Amino acid sequence: MAVSRGAASTTSAAAATRHLLLRTTYGLTPELVRTVTPARRSAWLASQLRPASVPDPVADVVLRRLPRLALSTPTLRAQVKAGTLDSWDVMMDLCAATIARGLWSTRQLFEVMVELWSNHLNITCPSSEVWDNRHRYDADVIRRHALGRYRDLLYAAVVHPAMLSYLNNTSSTKQNPNENLGREVLELHTVGVDGGYTERDVKASALILTGLSTDWRTGAFVYRPGDHHVGRVSVMGFRHANSSADGRAVVSAYLGYLATHPATAQRVCRRLAVRFVGDDPPKALVDRLARTYVKGGTAIAPVLAQLFASPEFAASAGAKIRTPYESMLATVRALGIQPPTSGVTPLRELYWAISTVGQVPLGWPQPDGYPDVAAAWQSAGGTLARWNMNNNLANNWWPTGFRRPALTTFLPKPLPATYGALVDAVAVRLRQFGLSTPEREAICGFFGARPTTRLRTSSEILTWRLGQLIALLLDAPSHGRR
Amino acid sequence: MDQLSAGCSGEHSGPQGVSRRTVVRVALAAGALGGVGALADGPLASIAGAPAPSAGAAPVGDVLVVISLRGGFDGLSAVVPAADPDYARHRPTVGIPAGHLLAGDDRFGLHPALESLHPFWRNGMLGAVHAVGQVNPSRSHFSAMAELHRAAPGSALRTGWIDRLLQLSASTSAFRATQVGDIGLLGSLSGPAPELVMSSVDDFTLSGAWNDTEYRRWSTALSAMHRRTPLTQVTPAHNALAAVATTTRLKAAGYTPAHGATYPSGDLGTSLRDLARLIKAGVGLRVGCVDHGDWDVHADMGTVASGRQRDQLVELARALAAFATDLGPLMSSVIVVTLSEFGRRVAENGSGGTDHGLGNAVLLLGGGVVGGRVHGRWPGLADRHLVDGDLAATTDYRVILREILTQRCLVANPQSIFPGLAGTALGVVRPRA
Repeated sequence: MAVSRGAASTTSAAAATRHLLLRTTYGLTPELVRTVTPARRSAWLASQLRPASVPDPVADVVLRRLPRLALSTPTLRAQVKAGTLDSWDVMMDLCAATIARGLWSTRQLFEVMVELWSNHLNITCPSSEVWDNRHRYDADVIRRHALGRYRDLLYAAVVHPAMLSYLNNTSSTKQNPNENLGREVLELHTVGVDGGYTERDVKASALILTGLSTDWRTGAFVYRPGDHHVGRVSVMGFRHANSSADGRAVVSAYLGYLATHPATAQRVCRRLAVRFVGDDPPKALVDRLARTYVKGGTAIAPVLAQLFASPEFAASAGAKIRTPYESMLATVRALGIQPPTSGVTPLRELYWAISTVGQVPLGWPQPDGYPDVAAAWQSAGGTLARWNMNNNLANNWWPTGFRRPALTTFLPKPLPATYGALVDAVAVRLRQFGLSTPEREAICGFFGARPTTRLRTSSEILTWRLGQLIALLLDAPSHGRR
Repeated sequence: MDQLSAGCSGEHSGPQGVSRRTVVRVALAAGALGGVGALADGPLASIAGAPAPSAGAAPVGDVLVVISLRGGFDGLSAVVPAADPDYARHRPTVGIPAGHLLAGDDRFGLHPALESLHPFWRNGMLGAVHAVGQVNPSRSHFSAMAELHRAAPGSALRTGWIDRLLQLSASTSAFRATQVGDIGLLGSLSGPAPELVMSSVDDFTLSGAWNDTEYRRWSTALSAMHRRTPLTQVTPAHNALAAVATTTRLKAAGYTPAHGATYPSGDLGTSLRDLARLIKAGVGLRVGCVDHGDWDVHADMGTVASGRQRDQLVELARALAAFATDLGPLMSSVIVVTLSEFGRRVAENGSGGTDHGLGNAVLLLGGGVVGGRVHGRWPGLADRHLVDGDLAATTDYRVILREILTQRCLVANPQSIFPGLAGTALGVVRPRA
């Protein structure tokens, strides 16, 4: 009895670790599974919450091939004016960099959080309003604060030239306020549509933000006191004399108020729980996280630590469906695909390959960001495209040019005796976990076999149909969950 | 129509709203589906007659085909206000001279490039509405297009209007809303209700399924591996397999348009040809969507006889005419509507083009259309009637869509599709018998 209990707890510890890795990364790799053992689980999570402490050699190498991401907005403008760059080039560089980091960064949880905030504070990329500053928004707002304090993230986002341009605040003045940003700050970025604000609040919100603008020549942030509405304002219990033409103090106070508002705490923590626990996460969990969020002065890492330690998280294994984008990244990671020996051309191809499944990174065309619930990703065409891309990637048909292991490296040595054992072994080597019974039977059936059928070294499954086996293992619904 | 209609606007705005409501509907859909074969079987057997109603649905109305004319269609070149004395003054070089126009009605003429559509105008299947626009106009393509597809100004809705229409539908067909073409998902379809997006019928295939044997091999395995899987994974998989079963058979059968219809080359003709093919195949298509651009002609529109504007209108007219010819009597249950994010500036610019404007023309084609005339209130092109140099919009485009949906597509309660929409129907269609 003691032995079997011990074995069971070892198994469950391994399962719990795998569950954590599935939720906090873009897909399991042999290295992750080897290094993050149950004993090292806590230390790994702690280091993931302090990403600066984690060396990131492969992503660093790829990022060095995208040097234009370091350009300041004025420099980028000058280069476009001089004709040495096209205006959309750097936005597409950012898309390539986002994919590269998702695939190869060792700071996986950080990348997952960057994606989450990029959706929560969405600025569609590419889009024409932000061609010169979207990459700065990624670096100076999202990445700088992704695991910091939400109030800092919110403030940095709202006053950034990218957001000011994207949501029309650059043309909002005290005479002619544009309510776009003032409304979205309430509806999307903080308290949410049910947060309890009125149309009067929206108008006041827009007035508070008047004056935040950009320099039309350089694209840099500029404050225009002459455009700022002066006079007492109130929004959802926030009150301010707002007596100065330089309204930056009221902006800071207002956004700080909103960031710590109970409705914002609920909304932000619910978003985290939807990402990491379930499409309709338990309210008790969200409530506890919201308390930690407020108590910690909107610090994000303590909320995540509490979430991953919660029984609700532990109980949610297998309950989340991968989005199409995640699914593609998980496929590339499973195949062991590595950066090309030079350049980033295959990455740019991969962006278009990913577009076929209906979810390019940063590409949601509205201010509210991609949804992260299974119900939003029920597209039949996207599903077919995902199967077809799995086949393309498994067989190295498209995109090509990456470094990658031969498919035969996924074959166990020595070869097992039966189809069932072979399919299971390849599944584990490829995806780091096995198959359900229906999956195993279906895949064996594809090769005209049953799981118990004896394998011959001349079998097609080992030769010209090996790529199809790999594709099917990636099509399997068990690969579609996180 | 089921009762799972859209509730308060807030329900749509976040993932939480998406999940709660849709899971119920998906569960119902999957329950009705009962397996891959349910949708895959049968469609080809019901080619004859009107489009086959999908399983379990109440009486179905017209098939709605929405053509998005991306970039800002120039309604003033297509449906020309010949009787307006200011037209020629605003457009001294790119205007269409009255002597070249095809007969429209007492106020308007049609661009001669629309010649292939003129028989449908004369027999009353083709009509137009002029001075159509959005209530919160924007001259940004991005914003105006997003708003056109969302079709809910002043509300917090984040879904597209066709998605909200689908939320009212009990149809479980994978093809019930199908977008054909290479552009990404149109905003009008964005939201929790599943739709089908394909670049073309012939390209909607399973990779690796290069013959019947291989097709069966893949589809059998993909279906079987989804046994004992959550509905959220089973439903899209089964819909994909059902759709690909149909497209694979359609592809194998080949397609010859009927009644001598000839589609023009190009994306619009190709996509409309596929929509006609799907409608005739009776696969349960209720809404077809095509995006066709680029109408953003800021320079060198050309003349009445040649140039970009003419070529684009010729293509549009030939594609629509081929579609209507191909479907023949089936057009009694099909209605086509063209929409664009905005019209173009009334006055031509210095480059022989026109800039972004406001009021625009909408074309309507189908057996139920009150055609052969231009509907809507014409505001006039005198300077005092223009809005910042633009044709004023006297008809909210959603009023046209609402009339089509209620009178032709048998949507009883369009309020959730176009919340808060005022205005009265123009009588652009006849009620469906």
